[in-house]
Amino acid sequence: MSIMAYNGGAVVAMKGKDCVAIAADRRFGVQLQTIGFDAERIFRVSDSLFVGIPGLATDTQTVHERLRFRTNMYELRENRKVTPKVLSSMVSNFLYEHRFGPYFVEPVVAGLDPKTHVPYLCAFDLIGCPNEPEDFVVSGTCEEQLYGMCESLWKPDLSPEDLFETISQALVNACDRDAISGWGAKVYIIEKDKVTVKSVRTRMD
Amino acid sequence: MECLIGIRFKDYVLLAADRIDARSIVVMKHDEEKFVSLSDNLLMAVTGEAGDTAQFSEYIAKNVQLYKMRNDYELSPTAAAHFTRRNLAEYLRSRSPYQCNLLLAGYDKGTNTSHLFYMDYLATLVELPYCAHGYGGYFTLSTMDAYYKEDLTPEEGLALLKKCIAEISKRLIVNLPTFQVKIVDKDGIRNFGENDGIVEARKLANSS
Amino acid sequence: MIKTTRFSYPEVENGPMQRHFSPYTDNGGTIVAIAGKGFAVIASDTRLSSGFSIYTREQPKVQQLNDWTILGCSGCWCDVLTLKRLMEARIKLYRHEHNRAMSTGAIAQMLSTMLYYKRFFPYYVSNVLAGLDEEGNGVVYSYDPVGHCEKSTFHAGGSSGALIQPFLDSRVRALIQPFLDSRIGNKNLTPDAIPKEPLTLDEALRVVKDTFISAAERDIYTGDGVLIKIVTPEGVREESFPLRHD
Repeated sequence: MSIMAYNGGAVVAMKGKDCVAIAADRRFGVQLQTIGFDAERIFRVSDSLFVGIPGLATDTQTVHERLRFRTNMYELRENRKVTPKVLSSMVSNFLYEHRFGPYFVEPVVAGLDPKTHVPYLCAFDLIGCPNEPEDFVVSGTCEEQLYGMCESLWKPDLSPEDLFETISQALVNACDRDAISGWGAKVYIIEKDKVTVKSVRTRMD
Repeated sequence: MECLIGIRFKDYVLLAADRIDARSIVVMKHDEEKFVSLSDNLLMAVTGEAGDTAQFSEYIAKNVQLYKMRNDYELSPTAAAHFTRRNLAEYLRSRSPYQCNLLLAGYDKGTNTSHLFYMDYLATLVELPYCAHGYGGYFTLSTMDAYYKEDLTPEEGLALLKKCIAEISKRLIVNLPTFQVKIVDKDGIRNFGENDGIVEARKLANSS
Repeated sequence: MIKTTRFSYPEVENGPMQRHFSPYTDNGGTIVAIAGKGFAVIASDTRLSSGFSIYTREQPKVQQLNDWTILGCSGCWCDVLTLKRLMEARIKLYRHEHNRAMSTGAIAQMLSTMLYYKRFFPYYVSNVLAGLDEEGNGVVYSYDPVGHCEKSTFHAGGSSGALIQPFLDSRVRALIQPFLDSRIGNKNLTPDAIPKEPLTLDEALRVVKDTFISAAERDIYTGDGVLIKIVTPEGVREESFPLRHD
């Protein structure tokens, strides 16, 4: 079994009209044994900027902590907020620094630019190659299923409500076809002046 | 082969560990202590590579105590867990990683909450209501899924723990004759249950 | 300075030379089948490829076996051809022996047996069998390479199986017996969002077309075109449409 699939888990993020959404499942397991139902793999970086880190759970935690250190240091040194583009460069550089002994995670950055409120998405491989598509990004153990769902359901300029429905359906149906993802999901809808967090119930097996 | 079980309740935590110390196919010791107290209300149970467990747990224990002497206040269970994780995570990517699986049970006197942390040798830290390390997990998690309630009394909690131990003794091929049970609550860390917290697993299995 | 030339004999230094023969290759391709009340549709893309090269853009992977049964195969194309030829021979033998055409159920069972017969040197093929049962209702059978067989009402197999199957789970409703009351399909919808009417042929066709268009976006082994075979009690008809050519 691949080390990327040791703990299981998936993250998906989508653009809408003046909004973005990022969602992840909540399973924590060790190979096929499920141990926890309330894993967190999406982390807040600033008011309208989030990072999802699926992959090996220990590296999810380490990478989150190290990024938190770097973003905090950036804000103190520069006296300004981290923008999505800045966070992307940071993640990319950080992962590439460990090119020959990588952290086994494939992070996803989702957020709105703090000034222009333009939606932004970016996904990385485990050595930091960035990918900034115009529609959606997927990552984690049910990547293929997520690609199929997103490619079928997503359309441009979705409203926040429709975006929530789309991303939830994509994630939940993809997780149902993956033995090591699921056990509930958490969806973040990021808009100009608010972030809505919703818990989604899924089948628990 | 070794087995740790932990269950967190509303205002106390129960930890159980087998007492076998085995090298390859030989059992070297039948009364091995797998618990390390980090402070008055913080208890760690460790399994894994023989030398690593002693070395790493002692390093963590002494540093938690040193922190208390230097700062005049203690690390909370959550803080201690994160301190432990960070150390293990840094060793993981060094030339000599420690191979320890551990459970951390604590009672936070500041917030009056109980905590149970699960951490494996990869330094994956998770806070959970109940968990197990080793092959025990395959037999006990379902029992705890079925019977766990947050507000069980310590006696009911112990009964649940004994159900799990009985299951291991009955279904796991490895012979783990005795388990040590400890409780962590606002009054500190104690052996818990009759016979000074030592559970005879085989007897339990036969009577269940 | 004297330059010395050191001869190297890599054939000797690297140990004995070894040759490998791999009997399998993956030629890609996707099959989608949906069954409904009084119809079955089964479709495949028409790309035949190997690695990054395309052999042909016009090779459908669905094959009519008789008036009411269609077989879709994708995977190792040489195994597909062999399996199909043997299937056709066995079906012909059955007809000569019993003086009637094989039912879909009988073909389904036979395929499972034929696959398992090669248990330790399997046909590297994912099969989807679609057709009408004795009552004239649609039915779908799907297989793994060694003959495990599952009867269902919809299935996606081949290189885009993982992409399409969750979408079918959420969209296609099982509305023929004996699945009428079961909880297959229309997954993760609120009760009032589940349509009350049976799945129609037009809806099934629309879903099939949508899934292929989506799959062709992400799967390089799926594309070029789609051939759909539609089985109804009146007979079998075909429909086709183009997909991305890149």
